[in-house]
Amino acid sequence: MPRSSKRTRSGAPTSGNDVLPGATSIDEHHHHKRSRNSSLRRHLKAEDTSFSVKKCLSWFKEYTSVSEPDVLGPEGMEKFCADLGVDPENVVMLVIAYKMGAKQMGFFTQEEWLKGLTELQCDNVHKLQNKLDYLRNLLNDPHIFKAIYRYSYDFARDKEQRSLDTEVAGALLGVLLPRWALRAALCEFIARERRYRVVNRDQWCNILEFSRTVDAHLASYDADGAWPVMLDEFVEWLRANDSSMPPAS
Amino acid sequence: MSGLAETPISAKEGGNLYKKRSLPVSESCSKRVKINEMSAEEKISNFSLVNPNSNGIKMSSTSMNKPGVTAKKLIIKNFKSKPNLPDNYQETTWSKLREAVVAIQTSKSIAYSLEELYQAVENMCSHKMASQLYVNLTNLVEAHVKANIEQFLSESMDRQVFLKRMDDCWRAHCRQMIMIRSIFLYLDRTYVLQNPSIHSIWDMGLDLFRHHIAMNTLVQTRTVDGLLLLIERERGGDSVDISLLKSLLRMLSDLQIYQEAFEHKFLQATERLYAAEGQRLMRELAVPEYLAHVEKRLKEENDRLLHYLDPSTKWQLVVVVERQLLGEHVAGILGKGLAALLDAPRLHDLATLYTLFSRVKDGLAELCHHFNGYIKKKGRTIVIEPERDKTMVTELLDFKEQLDHVVNTCFQRNDKFIYSMREAFEFFINQRQNKPAELIAKFVDLKLRAGNKEATEEELERLLDKIMVLFRFIHGKDVFEAFYKKDLAKRLLVGKSASVDAEKSMLSKLKQECGGGFTCKLEGMFKDMELSKDINITYKQHLSASTETSGPGGVELSVHILTMGFWPTYRACEVRLPTELTRQQEHFTKFYLAKHSGRKLHWQPTLGHCVLRANFAQGNKELQVSLFQALVLLLFNDGDNLSFEDIKVSTNIEEGELRRTLQSLACGKARVLSKAPRGRDVQDLDHFSFNADFTNKLFRIKINQIQMKETSEEQKATEERVFQDRQYQIDAAIVRVMKMRKALSHNLLISELYNQLKFPVKPSDLKKRIESLIDRDYMERDKDNPNQYNYVA
Repeated sequence: MPRSSKRTRSGAPTSGNDVLPGATSIDEHHHHKRSRNSSLRRHLKAEDTSFSVKKCLSWFKEYTSVSEPDVLGPEGMEKFCADLGVDPENVVMLVIAYKMGAKQMGFFTQEEWLKGLTELQCDNVHKLQNKLDYLRNLLNDPHIFKAIYRYSYDFARDKEQRSLDTEVAGALLGVLLPRWALRAALCEFIARERRYRVVNRDQWCNILEFSRTVDAHLASYDADGAWPVMLDEFVEWLRANDSSMPPAS
Repeated sequence: MSGLAETPISAKEGGNLYKKRSLPVSESCSKRVKINEMSAEEKISNFSLVNPNSNGIKMSSTSMNKPGVTAKKLIIKNFKSKPNLPDNYQETTWSKLREAVVAIQTSKSIAYSLEELYQAVENMCSHKMASQLYVNLTNLVEAHVKANIEQFLSESMDRQVFLKRMDDCWRAHCRQMIMIRSIFLYLDRTYVLQNPSIHSIWDMGLDLFRHHIAMNTLVQTRTVDGLLLLIERERGGDSVDISLLKSLLRMLSDLQIYQEAFEHKFLQATERLYAAEGQRLMRELAVPEYLAHVEKRLKEENDRLLHYLDPSTKWQLVVVVERQLLGEHVAGILGKGLAALLDAPRLHDLATLYTLFSRVKDGLAELCHHFNGYIKKKGRTIVIEPERDKTMVTELLDFKEQLDHVVNTCFQRNDKFIYSMREAFEFFINQRQNKPAELIAKFVDLKLRAGNKEATEEELERLLDKIMVLFRFIHGKDVFEAFYKKDLAKRLLVGKSASVDAEKSMLSKLKQECGGGFTCKLEGMFKDMELSKDINITYKQHLSASTETSGPGGVELSVHILTMGFWPTYRACEVRLPTELTRQQEHFTKFYLAKHSGRKLHWQPTLGHCVLRANFAQGNKELQVSLFQALVLLLFNDGDNLSFEDIKVSTNIEEGELRRTLQSLACGKARVLSKAPRGRDVQDLDHFSFNADFTNKLFRIKINQIQMKETSEEQKATEERVFQDRQYQIDAAIVRVMKMRKALSHNLLISELYNQLKFPVKPSDLKKRIESLIDRDYMERDKDNPNQYNYVA
């Protein structure tokens, strides 16, 4: 969607977790959508244009338990996803978490909730539903995608460990890079090689670079490059095991 | 150029000098001179009276007055009338000369005297008939030469006969021309000389011969082919008429058609012959024989040049032969035979090979290349096989010595070969990581250990020098250092070093090679040994001074104080010592710490050794044993028949170590303990008892060789320590570089690291360390450029 990407470029010119689209630009975006969208939207809009912190908080309370009123836990999350009509494994959930700046997968604190939804100007499930397309489109911007990718590492990481478990990493890659041709092979390689029980931050970040710069036939792969050893070994393994791969020159 | 001249001659009175009319002048000017004597009384003497011939030419010269006679006038007058030649003079004289020439050409006797003929020529020349004479003579010779050609044109003629006839014809021609020239010498010297455009008589003869006979296509082809056939036969080993060959080839040179008519074809034939021969013999002969053959061929061709070929052919001929027999087969010869020659090594053949190859273009470069390849290949087989580890170092030494010998004796110490050999050694010796360095260190240990009586000091010194040559090629010198240090420590501590001089000599060699940084720890070890000696002396003095009060008598204690860091790290292990020894230890510790406050002593039992006195049925013995062995043996003072478990509990020695210790006492050569049940290996349920029936010729028995032996754990630990050290060194280097540069691209960082690190390391190892440092937050990858690293302060 050209319009949305144009907007994000103007709204978020630099990458990084801390720079987020401002509220004004979101309004402007709304305006665009509104002008060409269905009567339902028009109806919803007419119903509620303003954002209320109070509503937002009461919406949050729908998902929390009495014992832990400040944290939205896994059960609440499941319900939240169901209300939103989105699969928990859908990449858009990652974008929402990114917007909230959520620290831990499966949990939203009240603070995170308020911060993220204030920014998105959503205080009920319908408003957020209307934002889903916009959120998905954020992924098309390479800088924002890179920020979300890097963010997901800490988001998914078990906070007791420095690194990401290989299984989690594999699942996360499935969500983030579903169309990357070598993803399945990489996941198989990591699962097979007992040496790699975890993926560290550097490896994680480089997987994205690798997926962007190295084509499926490894033609642009440079063995003398700065790729982490894990990726070098992956290429070696791939060439040894996949006869369709051209051997190293 | 008038024919007449008057020459008045005056003789000075009293002068004993007389003038003689110079004959050459008068001759060349064709002047007739008459000299008259004024006074008839004077004595006249005739000089140079040439034939008083009918043609009226008379030459005379007078010598004059005797000294003392009064001066007289000498007047020379012209003839009154000019002398005339007979009208038919030219015709008659020429017919005479022609007759003579024909007689010469037909090998008949000449009717006239040669003198007369010569005079005739001279006179004709004098009367301006020279040009006519020359033309006549030329025609005459030409006719004769033309007539000669017939004999060479007949269809079927044996080549040999043809050549013979040609030779005869040529020789006859030469002979005739010499003769003719003698007669016509005057013509040759006057008329011909004055006219540069015409040939001398001899050249005229050659020219005619060349023109009419030698340049005749048929004759020339026949001659040249005949010659080539003869040469080919000679090359094939037949004996041929060399003088005939020589004469005919001289003929070609003299006729100046050697190059165009013969040389080219000859070189072609040579090329063909040797090309075929080279191909065939390369297939049939082994390389040494082939080389010998080539050498023989070259010598033969040189002889040929001496015997009959024109020297101008030399360079081209030699080049052709070398190219066909050697140049074309350089790769073949080297590929087929070099390895075998070097393996043997066949020094003589190698020297031949070298000299021959130095003659062809790029021959030596190729030889050097193959030599290099041979070393790499053979060296690799020595190094790469783990089964050959035992003999690797000796084999390497032998190999190096053999090659040195080859280079020195056969390859004339060519620098290129020496460098190439070094390069090849360095290459193959590092084909296998670490092991060669380890084995060289162990080899040195073996040679420096006590009991190595096979070599004198000089021999040992020479051997160490050779070892250093190998050592120089090793890339991972840290491996050598680690093993050398470990073995040196054992030699020093267990007292097995053969000679301090040899140790010091080796140390200085290492220092020279690698610098002080490499050896400072080793030097520290020697220093520790010396300091320990002093400490032991003062301790003894201290003991004797304080025996009355609290000295622990009975056992003599000697302690090595080792500075941590200089010595290999030993695993800390606690063993249970008898109270006697513990008391000793405590006493010494107190003594030492009193002297050096602030230090800490760790007792290290693994390398201790002691002497025990034992009472056997056969008599008393002294046993030299390790501390562990002593601990085990001392248990048998208090009880007999102990189980493995008992011993383990009582001594607290680590299980594997204890097994080895017991094995050395009960299963080795000197069995001071008996094991039940018998067997080579120590099992958990075995029982041990004192072997009172132990016998041995010697009074003092060494059982502690076990300490010098290297266990595989020890080997692995040393190796691992080296690798660990390398990792630290890499980490340190990376941080050093990054701290200086702050931000650096991957490739630049890697190349910087290769400059700094002195041991072989793979790029992936470096990457692993880089990643580890990133993980530990010493540095980070640039967020936008994954090929760049930033230093994190």
